[in-house]
Amino acid sequence: MRIAFKLAYRNLIGAGLRTWLNVLVLSFSFVIIIWAKGVLVGWDHQAKTDMAQWEIAQGQYWHKLYDPYDFFTIADSHAPVPEAFQAAIDQQAMVPILVAQGTIYPEGRMMPILIKGIKSDQTLLKIPAYKLDTISDAIPVVIGANMSKACHLKKGDRTILRWRDSQGTFDAAEIEVVEVFSTLVPSVDAAQVWIDLKTLQEKLNMPDEATLFSFGALEHQPAEQGDFLLKTTKDLTSEIDDMIATKSKGQAVFYGILLLLAMLAIFDTQILSIFRRQKEIGTYVALGYTRREVVGLFTVEGAMHAVLAAGLAAAYGIPFFIWQSKVGFTIPMDTSEFGMAISPTMYPVYSVGLILSTTLIVLITTTVVSYWPSRRIAKMNPTEALRGKIQ
Amino acid sequence: MIKFLFKGLWRDKSRSRMPILIVAVGVALSVFLHAYITGMMGDSIEMNAKMSFGHVKVVSKAYAENMSQMPLDLALMETTDLTQRLSQEFPTITWVERIQFGGLVDAPDAEGSTMTQGPAVGMGVDLLSEHADEVERMNLAQSLIQGRLPGQPGEVLLSDQFARNLKVNPGDAITLIGSTMYGGMSYYNFIVSGTVSFGVKVLDKGTMIADIQDVRLALDMEDAATEIVGFFSIGYFDGDIASNISHQFNDKFTETPGDEYAPAMLTLKDQPGMGQMVDLGAAMGAIITGVFMFAMALVLWNAGLLGGIRRYGEFGIRLAMGEAKSHVYISLLYESVMIGIMGAVVGTMFGLFFAWLLQTYGLDLGDSMKGSSIMLPTVLRARITPVDFYIGFIPGIVSTLIGTALAGLGIYKRKTSQLFKELEV
Amino acid sequence: MKQIINIMVAFLLVVPSMAQPTANDLLKKIDQNLSSKNRVFESEMTIHGKRASRTVVSKTYSVGDKQAFTEYLSPAREQGTKMLKLENQLWIYSPSTDRTIQISGHMLRQSVMGSDLSYEDMMDDRKLTEIYDGQVLRTETLDDRTCYVVELIANVSDVAYHKRLMWVDAERFVPLKEELYAKSGQLLKQTVMSEVLKIQGRWFPTKMVYKDMLKQGDGTEFKVLNASFDQDIPDYLFTKAALKQ
Repeated sequence: MRIAFKLAYRNLIGAGLRTWLNVLVLSFSFVIIIWAKGVLVGWDHQAKTDMAQWEIAQGQYWHKLYDPYDFFTIADSHAPVPEAFQAAIDQQAMVPILVAQGTIYPEGRMMPILIKGIKSDQTLLKIPAYKLDTISDAIPVVIGANMSKACHLKKGDRTILRWRDSQGTFDAAEIEVVEVFSTLVPSVDAAQVWIDLKTLQEKLNMPDEATLFSFGALEHQPAEQGDFLLKTTKDLTSEIDDMIATKSKGQAVFYGILLLLAMLAIFDTQILSIFRRQKEIGTYVALGYTRREVVGLFTVEGAMHAVLAAGLAAAYGIPFFIWQSKVGFTIPMDTSEFGMAISPTMYPVYSVGLILSTTLIVLITTTVVSYWPSRRIAKMNPTEALRGKIQ
Repeated sequence: MIKFLFKGLWRDKSRSRMPILIVAVGVALSVFLHAYITGMMGDSIEMNAKMSFGHVKVVSKAYAENMSQMPLDLALMETTDLTQRLSQEFPTITWVERIQFGGLVDAPDAEGSTMTQGPAVGMGVDLLSEHADEVERMNLAQSLIQGRLPGQPGEVLLSDQFARNLKVNPGDAITLIGSTMYGGMSYYNFIVSGTVSFGVKVLDKGTMIADIQDVRLALDMEDAATEIVGFFSIGYFDGDIASNISHQFNDKFTETPGDEYAPAMLTLKDQPGMGQMVDLGAAMGAIITGVFMFAMALVLWNAGLLGGIRRYGEFGIRLAMGEAKSHVYISLLYESVMIGIMGAVVGTMFGLFFAWLLQTYGLDLGDSMKGSSIMLPTVLRARITPVDFYIGFIPGIVSTLIGTALAGLGIYKRKTSQLFKELEV
Repeated sequence: MKQIINIMVAFLLVVPSMAQPTANDLLKKIDQNLSSKNRVFESEMTIHGKRASRTVVSKTYSVGDKQAFTEYLSPAREQGTKMLKLENQLWIYSPSTDRTIQISGHMLRQSVMGSDLSYEDMMDDRKLTEIYDGQVLRTETLDDRTCYVVELIANVSDVAYHKRLMWVDAERFVPLKEELYAKSGQLLKQTVMSEVLKIQGRWFPTKMVYKDMLKQGDGTEFKVLNASFDQDIPDYLFTKAALKQ
């Protein structure tokens, strides 16, 4: 068998450009598949990381009545901060957030929004809450870039915010936008303003109350704490999982087509080899090779394309992968019109499993495709083959 | 000469069959892939277009400013006329009137008093007229969970989860409480004909879909609609066509400047979040197609090379018979162009055929996508665009030609002595 | 609407007083003055929408502050719609659907007939003297009438408006203007009353313009077409069964 590999190797190298074209295409399949899958995993990570950093940290506790899809639940979904959470909050491992309904009146238009109270000294989430300390005769608020665009409020702009306290009494005050932040997480951006938690608790007459908590590293994660129910990261990011699952299924078809194309090249090469090298085949048989051995020889030769391709892919792919995982893959489009100051960049993440499985798939496919045309050899008449007569 | 070469190719199957087959398969794969990528990238966009945004949408200027609040009082009036004018001006676009509204759905107990109530986001679409294509457009039949689609006035579809929350079943009566376009209170009874699920949290929470005529009666919107939605006859969103049309429209239909109820046209890209999606789809599609085309060019190049090598023996004989090397070479190039063209034609046909199959029947990903809050299509579909008719020709012909040209260079290196060795059979 | 009537009715004053009265005196006098067994009146509400205005005509029967029954007379779409308020419950009957619908919870915060009033505004039937502490701030001239400016600050927490300012006609003791404030002191809503007429010996402002001050728009106009007091109103009117008749 060793001789088979040696022979195969020599034959391939001897074929020059033909082999290298095949190998190049095949190596392409390696790199593209690994990269594209890496981007998808990276996207998944990025989306989840963004969500974690901006909104959910490592998980949340929701008031049992809270339903972000049902505005009517919001007025009732608040309760005092459970005793058990206090220590974690003091250690910055947990951030209480109070949610209320409100109305803003930019340019005299009524806009229903959510008011979210967050501690200005929190460091768990990326919401620039520290800006809420800004000294102003109006209530300082921070809003997302999309919100800023929707309500035409820029940094420094003011408008009236109206809300009702826990007893239903109307209250209103001027707010000043002290910061506009850019985020890729719409659920902390769209139709909401962030204000200081203490101020909101005071204004709503809900001292020490909260609607939900985002927590970081938390030793105890009971499924329920008072009126609050645990929402794990898995629950909260299921939408991203769904999206990634659809995308991977969609991508799989693309890999299939790419592999098919590479296999087309291998197939063509194999057919030609067998056609052109009949005398050689005849000679092998005359020398005492069984037909199966000859088939094996040609199969190994075809499959070796994949081995060479893996080598080539490693040669230019590894630096490319490393570079990509550092600078990330930024989708070339103009994002400014969407009110985003940043472009979504995905940093590909490659796993050993991903690389191994891709290599294995390419190797097996190549072997099968190499074997297929080689079967013809088994049907050849050795004497005719020896004469080089086309069969 | 072309005829001669063609005959040669045609009669000598070993010269033509394999190369054409390879080119054809390569081209078919490219065409199919491009259609598939276009379909995949465009699917979520089309789904959003069909459910709510349209490819273009006509609303009143004031409505456009306050769209998120679904302000009925800012709806378009005299929409029959407007729709007719739109159809005349832009005959290639299908125009449909729709009403989006908010309200409260109230389910009665046996005495007719309130049993359960819930807030609803409603849509009035043409479900009952003769040429109603909205059922198909919105994929309602496939989304049905219980009961049936509305078959007569006064019937309504509720999202399944909503119906369960309200404890109503198909056949039960509900009352829509809303406000009319003029701000009056409105009450309207419906019979629930069936329940639907779109697999999207926001929609499944509290959606009701009724025939637009019922909604007009209910909300006092005679000859009015919140929007007139347009769908391109090509079946997918094209940003250039859309911006072109919206410019034409905004020039022609805005008679009185400053009238905030004058109709204004928005394209899909103007809608929240959609511009991003369209651009992202286009960018990803271009990258994937580019990479693939490059790979295919290499494969066809190789195929051209192999095709040339196959015929070394033949060249030897032709050279021995005194044919000039350049003549052999040029005829080889001609042949490769013919092979390229034939392969590309056959390949494009097959590629289009398979793409058409995937476009028509789709590839069902199953119901694993249910319950998501973003609209995700569960069926993968290809989409054939004009590009697909020529995209395969470029690599199909050019790459084959380059491969052949390289392989053919060998002709010039040939020595007659070698030839006879090869002919020793 | 009911609330407006409450306010209006609450501030009708017949006994003029020469000395500046205290706010509580004013409120009490208004209450005493208006303590009729019941009232019946027909009114017209004009809602200025962004695009067009609508006028709704209704007839209201009320006994005390706890019971009220309203029937809508026009326009055609609204005709026959009836509303019943008993204590803190509210039902609406719509003839086109033959349904009696209870308005509760969040629905109460919705606007009534597209006006600048919510159902909730109609539901609070507590007397102003019960929930507000008053103080006469000053006298002021409003539309050529001398007015006491009364400030009312809520003494309970569950009220919609923490502070009210009221301009009371010093001669006829009729409120001519009222401003509703948020806890922060932000002006939220304003009511201007005019066309004060004498009905059955009582001064009665028959026109009010109600406006949400934060929003663009012309507000809601309310006009009393005719009013009568101490009528024979059958008890069955204040039952759910009456809605369907």
